[in-house]
Amino acid sequence: MTHALARASDDDAAVDQAVLRLTAEFRTRLRPQVIGTVVRNSRRDLSGVPATALPELVERLARARLQSEDRSA
Amino acid sequence: MGYIDVSGIRHTLSDGRVLLSDVSFRVGDGARAALVGENGAGKTTLLRIIAGDLVPEDGAVARTGGLGVMRQFIGSVRDDTTVQRFLVDLSPPAVRSAWDAVQAAELALMEADDEPTQMAYATALAHWGDVGGYDAEVTWDTVTVAALGVAYDGCKYRELSTLSGGEQKRLALEALLRGPDEVLLLDEPDNYLDVPGKRWLEERLLETRKTVLFVSHDRELLNRVADRVVTVEGGSAWVHGGGFPSYSEARSSRHERLAEVRRRWEEEHQRLVDLVRTMQQQAANSPDMANRYHAMQTRLAKFEAAGPPPEPPPPQQVAMRLRGGRTGVRAVTVEGLELTGLMKPFGAEIFYGDRVGVLGANGAGKSHFLRLLAGQHVAHTGEWRLGARVVPGLFAQTHAHPEWLDRTPVDLLWHGEPGRPGVDRGRAMAALRRYGLADSGDQLFRTLSGGQQARFQVLMLELSGATLLLLDEPTDNLDVLSAESLEEALAAFDGTVLAVTHDRWFARSFDRFLVFGADGRVYESAEPVFDETRVVRAR
Repeated sequence: MTHALARASDDDAAVDQAVLRLTAEFRTRLRPQVIGTVVRNSRRDLSGVPATALPELVERLARARLQSEDRSA
Repeated sequence: MGYIDVSGIRHTLSDGRVLLSDVSFRVGDGARAALVGENGAGKTTLLRIIAGDLVPEDGAVARTGGLGVMRQFIGSVRDDTTVQRFLVDLSPPAVRSAWDAVQAAELALMEADDEPTQMAYATALAHWGDVGGYDAEVTWDTVTVAALGVAYDGCKYRELSTLSGGEQKRLALEALLRGPDEVLLLDEPDNYLDVPGKRWLEERLLETRKTVLFVSHDRELLNRVADRVVTVEGGSAWVHGGGFPSYSEARSSRHERLAEVRRRWEEEHQRLVDLVRTMQQQAANSPDMANRYHAMQTRLAKFEAAGPPPEPPPPQQVAMRLRGGRTGVRAVTVEGLELTGLMKPFGAEIFYGDRVGVLGANGAGKSHFLRLLAGQHVAHTGEWRLGARVVPGLFAQTHAHPEWLDRTPVDLLWHGEPGRPGVDRGRAMAALRRYGLADSGDQLFRTLSGGQQARFQVLMLELSGATLLLLDEPTDNLDVLSAESLEEALAAFDGTVLAVTHDRWFARSFDRFLVFGADGRVYESAEPVFDETRVVRAR
């Protein structure tokens, strides 16, 4: 739990990287637009989380939501 | 900014005894107040009440500013507490609960990786940031570097039990002094610290702007640091607004004043009682006097209802009578003595009546030297001998008497030992009473407090007829008043005294010093030397 203030550019980088990795993981099952929306929504829901923990938590939450989406599709 | 305001506190022990009654005092913003009193007077109980650990039967404690508490057991932690947990526990309540929530959320995440659990973890982390958890971690890093020379990440999972008592104390003090709490309660912060450590503590307490209430038996530390002294005695507390140097005089004056006020109250009471009796007789003979008689009765009733002023506390129950006796001029002669593996050969002559402080590095062989002179088996080369009529008596650190642990003081006195005849129960109790131990005569030695064990050991010395006292850290567990009593007894002792001590105040009463250096050299000094560092040996 190391401290750093969240910066917009870091946030974007976290979102972009998560989108890239999750697109590669889910592209056979879900459309890229859906993946991008889920990641960005996850990022929004995690506002207030310390910046250093953000990339991991965003990706983890988005993956959980995408898996749920995939199952219900 | 922080203060402590204690008002009308009353606390009763489980056996029904009133330990504290109507205790009131205030420690103002930025004050460094010492809390002193005899062993068992209620200092730690009072600190626990102020800390909120105990609820008083009556009265209240008010304070502003966060409260940081260093408890007495720190220094002797032997369980599996880690450095991280220890630092968390010393943090403000908000940081503690946020840390616990993060830990719980992490554990839950190991069990289930679903969305609610992830959101709970994210919330816990956000809360950790909001309450200053990240700032606390930066502080902990500074603390561990200062106390242990290691970054926080490098030692946070280390068990506290692997640290020495001094390191544990230092870690807690660094955390509290650098932390956000503005009011600190420190219960014996100097225990386990060596003299350089105590000097460091003094400097830090002098420079801090926090409000500090601390318990200590170290008179040098009290003398340097305390700007007021709160005394717990006779079940109540009073404050001396000056520092420790004028404390003893202030305490005597207070006791005299209390005794005088009490004496006047009793005289006035007696006068009123006599008047009522006289008027009762007059009223029987003259109806005119009946009204005056009733008025006087009312006056006496009001006087008694207001109650007497407090009595001065009973004089301290410790009266040590170390007698000793005349011995040969050369009490101890040492020639080319070397305790195997501990020091380089040294020589010394100690004369009848000398008061010799044995100082120096931890692990340099000081205690072994005393044990050798006491006649115990200690591997050595070289010569040593005692003079004519020299009878050694050893005061060892309390854990050095395993054979006493399951026996009572009365039993130990009854049976005697070689060189010390046994005494009957009456004489044993009389002797125990002089040492403030009458109530503990039938308690197992292991259940006595450190101060009581120490006083009992001095009593054993008294009864042994020793003419050479070999004292190993005798003031370590003694409260201030008992330590002064021991000093008085030693001053009156007709014989020779060798004492190992780290107590700078006590050391001032000695006139020669034998210093055991960290390099193995043993040398004599006219002044006390406390700068020798710990002996480093290959382990």
